[in-house]
Amino acid sequence: MSSRKLLTGNEALALGALHAGARVITGYPGTPSTGAIESLLAMEPPSVYVEWSTNEKVALEIAAGAAWAGQRALCTMKMSGLNVASDSLYSVAYSGVVGGLVIYVADDPGVSAGMCEQDSRGFALLADLPLLDPSSVAEAYQLTRLAFDLSEAVGTPVLVRLVTAIAHTSAPVEVGEPLPLPEREPQLLRDIARFTKAGAAICMQQHRDLIVRLEEAGRWLRQAGLNSLQIAEKNSHPRLGIIAGGVVNAYLEEGLEIATRWGLDPRSVSTLRVRAPHPFPSDEVRALLQQVDMVVVLEELEPHLERGVYVEAHRRGFPGRIVGKLDGTLERVGEYDVRHVVRGIAAALGFSIPPDLFAAETEAEQLAAPRPITVCPGCPHRGTFLAINRAIRRAGYRRDQVMVTGDIGCTILGMNPPFDTVWNEVAMGASIGLAQGYVHAGVKTPVIATIGDSTFFHAGIPALINAIQHAVPLTVIIMDNGWTAMTGMQVNPSTDEEFQPPGGRRVDIAQLVPALGVEHFFVVDPFDLDGTTAVIQQALALPGVKVILSRQECAIQAQRRGHRAGTVRVVPENCNLCKLCIMLTGCPAIDLGTEAVMIDSALCYGCGLCAQVCNRDALVRISE
Amino acid sequence: MKTEKSLDIFLIGVGGQGLLTIGEVIAEAALALDLPACFYPYKGMAQRGGLVKAQLRLGRSAVGPNIPPQGADLVIAMEVSEALRAVRVLRPGGEFLLFGERWLPTAVMLGKAAYPALEVVLEQVRAAEGRDIYLPPDTLPSGLPANLFVLGAAVGRTRLGDILPAIAVEEAIQRRWPRDPERNLAAFRAGCRNQE
Repeated sequence: MSSRKLLTGNEALALGALHAGARVITGYPGTPSTGAIESLLAMEPPSVYVEWSTNEKVALEIAAGAAWAGQRALCTMKMSGLNVASDSLYSVAYSGVVGGLVIYVADDPGVSAGMCEQDSRGFALLADLPLLDPSSVAEAYQLTRLAFDLSEAVGTPVLVRLVTAIAHTSAPVEVGEPLPLPEREPQLLRDIARFTKAGAAICMQQHRDLIVRLEEAGRWLRQAGLNSLQIAEKNSHPRLGIIAGGVVNAYLEEGLEIATRWGLDPRSVSTLRVRAPHPFPSDEVRALLQQVDMVVVLEELEPHLERGVYVEAHRRGFPGRIVGKLDGTLERVGEYDVRHVVRGIAAALGFSIPPDLFAAETEAEQLAAPRPITVCPGCPHRGTFLAINRAIRRAGYRRDQVMVTGDIGCTILGMNPPFDTVWNEVAMGASIGLAQGYVHAGVKTPVIATIGDSTFFHAGIPALINAIQHAVPLTVIIMDNGWTAMTGMQVNPSTDEEFQPPGGRRVDIAQLVPALGVEHFFVVDPFDLDGTTAVIQQALALPGVKVILSRQECAIQAQRRGHRAGTVRVVPENCNLCKLCIMLTGCPAIDLGTEAVMIDSALCYGCGLCAQVCNRDALVRISE
Repeated sequence: MKTEKSLDIFLIGVGGQGLLTIGEVIAEAALALDLPACFYPYKGMAQRGGLVKAQLRLGRSAVGPNIPPQGADLVIAMEVSEALRAVRVLRPGGEFLLFGERWLPTAVMLGKAAYPALEVVLEQVRAAEGRDIYLPPDTLPSGLPANLFVLGAAVGRTRLGDILPAIAVEEAIQRRWPRDPERNLAAFRAGCRNQE
């Protein structure tokens, strides 16, 4: 019995893993992949272990351990996470797996979440691993189920890659029955030649085995018919072939429909829909090339498939044109839609697209008011950014003299107005390493690193230890709001014990940092602007490594539980509408009235920062 | 294939308005009618007050999530300034439903940036050969959620109502809020009746 459900790509993938019998599921939050584990945590499936891990490398190692013990395991992450996990990924790829191991990685063409527009299909190439690239939400479910079978049939980890347009999209999915997998007893396999890298002979044998497994995976995928070749029903001249990868397949029908305006008969086009781009589907591509005079390759981001098509064309002496990115027709940047299909077809067949097709005016857009993203009302980071800015000035520096390195997550919003506090953003935990580089480069003014709690646990700790070991003068400000907030409030080691998984423990940064030997360690409340400013100013003048823990729970989370830090009242007779409160805090809960500012009580968390920056006592905070 | 039952909808507004809920309710209602739906929300990093947009493609069984420029049959905009960002998506002859709420960005409040007048927005819609349908915010009965009100107006006054009858949407609302559908149903019905 199958049923039809409206699911997001993330939910479909998670359900596919569950129905394939995954018993251990780990991951680290990262847009657009977060929804997969979120949906599993909400389902609380019996006898399945699901966790948010400290980082993606840890997550992958846990999943690999479970797979080596014979269970089916899933590990989820965004593309940046795969960079972190890749060290272990290659090693595990060389060793292979016992139980099925599927690694879900989400790419973000078009950049919905501000990170590198990297194409994770490249990892499959580097690690010699099979990769599946579903072209729809429904396929995210089917192919994830299939990925576990492939993984166990061949003994290899399998990558499943979704793009944002599939991970976040909701569409109807035919959901099947869970596999009737009997409970598996964990196995303890001792096999040094397989599970260690002890010596050249072992490593090189593992490399040979890896290549054999990839070839086997290719045969398995061919038999499964994942890459579907459809030869034209009607003859035409010239004969056109289209090769499309992943989500671009979803636009083919619409594109062919539009191309009928120039007299193209969709039945005269041969198509190869690629859902398993690695190992490269040489047989299917060869079969297509034999039937066509020219080929259009449509794929988002890097020309992975296209390069393979060139190789195959060279081997077979294919004389026709290959239209794609490498001939300059299509871009390597951004999401694709039907326009790219039409442009590819037009370039191949020499149609000229009417200039007004898709060429919409952008004048209207330029009239829209700019709306930079900022922190939420009541966000504790607001207090930390304001205090850093004040402390720099009070210590006698101009703002442009003091480097404040930034990190991933909500703390990076300090880059935007009205704060303009943070200067740069690289990767999880990178703020502390970058800051040390500025010091060694000879910067004589204070250097400050800012980082969130989850980011600190994820990859900030080794960099802090490095700074301590090498006695690098540095002020590290850990902005601890107790949640992995930017990705939608996931639990991390700093989250209050009450919200940890059953029996789980909170790891207290206030205990951890002093234990590393940091002499100058301070804990501040970012809602206390004067107190936080004074501590940062003091720290900037001290020698060595200084760590300031700025601690207040994320206001969104606290508010969901009905908590408020206080109430802010306007004293209208004191307000002269100088707008200083709006200018400095940029808080969305403050509105302009005609006589005085107004506080939107539905939005206001009562942090009182506006009252602390007001110099006319026009705003008063009453604690709760 | 594009059919009479297919409709491409572009939604735009700011975080906190419940815009994405509109899309989810339409998609759920469509699923119950066996009408294919593909709903692609974009919320970027916005919690409250940031740009939110979504694309909803109804009626095609095989369709990619992105609507091309000038491809949307219907735009539903819930914020005056953000509505301008949707004009380029509108198909000439398409419908543009605008709920006239204004969320002023900080720079506008400080007088450092301009905020577009309603007339400017409507002119831009007309220049793009769109049919504008304006929904003044004060027509929202007090205490009712704006998003379901706007959804009601979309069903009552645009082509959406031709392929998605009000009753199907009401059933979707009841399934989504099984314990307390009344407030949302009232907002939806008020929107359906709105002919301002």
